[in-house]
Amino acid sequence: MTTAQPLVDLRDITVSFGAVKALRGVSFDLRPGEVHALLGQNGAGKSTLIKVLSGVNQRDGGTVLVHGKETNFKSAQDSRDSGIAMVYQDLSLVPSMSVASNLFLGREPHGGTKLVRNRSIVHAAQKYLTEQGFPIKASARVGALPFAYRQLTEIAKALMGDIRILVLDEPTSALSAGEEEILFKTVADVTKRGVGVIYVTHRLHEVFRISDRVSVLRDGLNVGTHNTSDITMEKLVSEIVGPGHERMAQATLSVEEGDRRSAFRNESSESSTHAPVIELRGVKNARLNGVDLKVRPGEILGLAGMVGSGRTEILETMFGLRRADEGEVLFEGKPVRWGSPNKAIAAGVALVPEDRHEQGLVLADTIAANIAMPRLPQLTRAGAFTKGEANRRAKKAVSDLNVRAPGIHTKLQNLSGGNQQKVVFGKWLTPEPKLLLLDEPSVGVDVGARDEIYGIIRGFARNGCAVVVVSSELVELTLLCDTLAVIHDGRVTTCVHTSEVEGEERLHHLVQEPAR
Amino acid sequence: MSTATTPAPAAAAESRRNVARDLFSSDRPYGVLLALIALVVFFSIKSDVFFTSANLQNIGRQTTLVTIMAVGMTFVIIAAEIDLSVASILKLSCVSAALFMNDFSNNWFLGAMVGIAVGAFIGLVNGLLTTKLGIPSFLVTLGMLGVAKGIAFVITDTAPVLVDSRPFWAVFYEGSIAGIPVPILWTIVALIIGGVLLHFSTFGRKVYATGGNATAARYSGINTDRTKILCFVFTGVLAGLASLIFTAQGHAARPDFADGLELDVIAAVILGGTSLFGGRGSIIGTLIGSLIIGVLNNGLVLIGVSSSWQIAVKGFIIILAVALSKRS
Ligand SMILES: Nc1ncnc2c1ncn2[C@@H]1O[C@H](COP(=O)(O)OP(=O)(O)OP(=O)(O)O)[C@@H](O)[C@H]1O
Ligand SMILES: [Mg+2]
Repeated sequence: MTTAQPLVDLRDITVSFGAVKALRGVSFDLRPGEVHALLGQNGAGKSTLIKVLSGVNQRDGGTVLVHGKETNFKSAQDSRDSGIAMVYQDLSLVPSMSVASNLFLGREPHGGTKLVRNRSIVHAAQKYLTEQGFPIKASARVGALPFAYRQLTEIAKALMGDIRILVLDEPTSALSAGEEEILFKTVADVTKRGVGVIYVTHRLHEVFRISDRVSVLRDGLNVGTHNTSDITMEKLVSEIVGPGHERMAQATLSVEEGDRRSAFRNESSESSTHAPVIELRGVKNARLNGVDLKVRPGEILGLAGMVGSGRTEILETMFGLRRADEGEVLFEGKPVRWGSPNKAIAAGVALVPEDRHEQGLVLADTIAANIAMPRLPQLTRAGAFTKGEANRRAKKAVSDLNVRAPGIHTKLQNLSGGNQQKVVFGKWLTPEPKLLLLDEPSVGVDVGARDEIYGIIRGFARNGCAVVVVSSELVELTLLCDTLAVIHDGRVTTCVHTSEVEGEERLHHLVQEPAR
Repeated sequence: MSTATTPAPAAAAESRRNVARDLFSSDRPYGVLLALIALVVFFSIKSDVFFTSANLQNIGRQTTLVTIMAVGMTFVIIAAEIDLSVASILKLSCVSAALFMNDFSNNWFLGAMVGIAVGAFIGLVNGLLTTKLGIPSFLVTLGMLGVAKGIAFVITDTAPVLVDSRPFWAVFYEGSIAGIPVPILWTIVALIIGGVLLHFSTFGRKVYATGGNATAARYSGINTDRTKILCFVFTGVLAGLASLIFTAQGHAARPDFADGLELDVIAAVILGGTSLFGGRGSIIGTLIGSLIIGVLNNGLVLIGVSSSWQIAVKGFIIILAVALSKRS
């Protein structure tokens, strides 16, 4: 071996789940002080590979060397003890406990007694968070935090203690540029200390920003490992999707390169003459301070803003999850006071929520059952559930969205993260909604599927559906939307046509420093 | 249609598999089925009378109350709630029906309706308190266990209330159709209604979704409160039905019987593979679980285990069976 001994050396790892071969002989290594990006389509085996390293998944074959010694972790605790810190794709915090308690979970500092001192924990946690630059209150209850802050808490938790290997599985999927920076800075800090970082992501620009090497998995095989400086975005994309499928990833390339090619824009401009599908007039409630918004048929409206600005709450108000205490909500011109989503859904509203595990899916249920869930009233004949029709819809969604699963009766808990996200989207495909609300619709979705999802959103809009998109990726908004509303502190500060925004920089500015 | 090209036999096999999957809701209670078979074989070897048709009918009759209430309990537990008050509902329902028949009209049908209505009402109260006030159902129904039992004692002075109605006895216990005793027929009716509701109706889908992830269900437009309330009401109705069978059996409503029966009911449901955390379970599983409870209650007596030991052995076997089903 020429360079320093690798921190992690995985050789010919194979893993299967029943008939599904998740990994078919993957080799991967991590050197001290480097960031090694791990890429691949949804279901390629990225999460499985790192779960083999952490001991959550058991391998069928191959060897795992950590610090040069062959190891056989049986649980996450074992790997933690060898200095491996993990941030899993799907959060593993206890929502009912405070940030501080979560940070210290399993390693509570205690005095001579075994009693945990709550006050000292909060104090120590706050000190640590402030030092590392995380904008989180240690005493806050995790369940009450915005999703992105929960993700930051998870990262903060992994970084605590004496770590030597840091594994991040799509840690930034809900973070916007500002919060992303906090992570990049901490990653740079730890690598200086010689910590090796494995970084799983679908956001390719991050790869070029922070990684030293990059490996690509496809269908459970390692199809290439490169120095990041030796490879271009196009080559990377074609390696991820496989030869001959590059076309699929046009939208991703555009997003990654910050390029708004007109071919991907929604060109319907006659929409402005129609009456709005939904209109908010001076809506105020716990989180909104007077929101005025209109969305017309065929229009795609983007909501830009910082975490906690009230974007999600606007969608929730439109979906009947929150009431307007003041002001009114008009749907197709008529004032409505939906107290619950079932009324909104019956009227033709659909919501893809930001937290797929909490709000989007029943993980123990099948793909077909999840897709049927919001459409039960239509799938009922004389009280009986019409299974045939439900299965037909599920099959269509699975093929339209290219969900990788053995079949429509696969349970959601056995799908990879990105494929779960596609199912959340697939719940609303049939019949087409009149108003589609999307909260971070492409979280964790791979380069090919992003195009498919964008295509479907535009198709809906062409058929007269009004769409509202919340995204932490500004380029995604400029690429997808006709109009943009910048949200700050529960109100709309600016409304612009996408065509009037010159470059992402300017939009960035609008979001960070809202005009009054 | 693409299925038009599929050869007919394959399609038929596929649909048969689908029905099987629906019934077991893809969680196969094979482990407990093996446990049931093992128990039956064991008792058949140890006792000559165990595997006779007379004794098997006995088991069926003795298991009736547990099975019928377990069908309702399956819904409640899949919806991620619990009902500890079923035995008390049974007490209050049966004394209400009996008092009504003594004091107002000896019409068996009206009496039966009163018993069932009382059960439904208590279920409704359980459901409303759980969902609208947000009190955990464990506490609500623990309280109701005392309240309903107490009222049953008060209105009867803790004395049995005789029921003197031949048609009532016949319909709920003593009659038989085609040689099958009515209590077993009532059990089958409850199982079929429960099975169809849970596995083939839209309501069943809502129950699974509510228990699997209530937030996601609400975000998908399912009225989770109403779903839970209906589960409690259904359990109440079935406890009411069980109370009628119980009354017809002894020709009297007895408020001092059936203490602790809720534990057998819950054990039957959990043995059948229904998850205490909600979202998973099946009616066939519950039937198997109930039969295990019934076979144990019957077989341990037949092989002469003392009644004190019966309690301990039953508890031990329940734990063992659940452990077995977890492994497979
Ligand atoms: N517990 C499980 N049971 C059955 N199959 C599983 C299980 N976990 C993962 N799989 C399958 O293994 C394959 C690899 O999954 P994995 O989660 O590693 O993908 P991934 O590369 O992380 O994808 P994503 O980008 O969507 O997160 C997928 O086909 C998935 O369906
Ligand atoms: Mg993954």
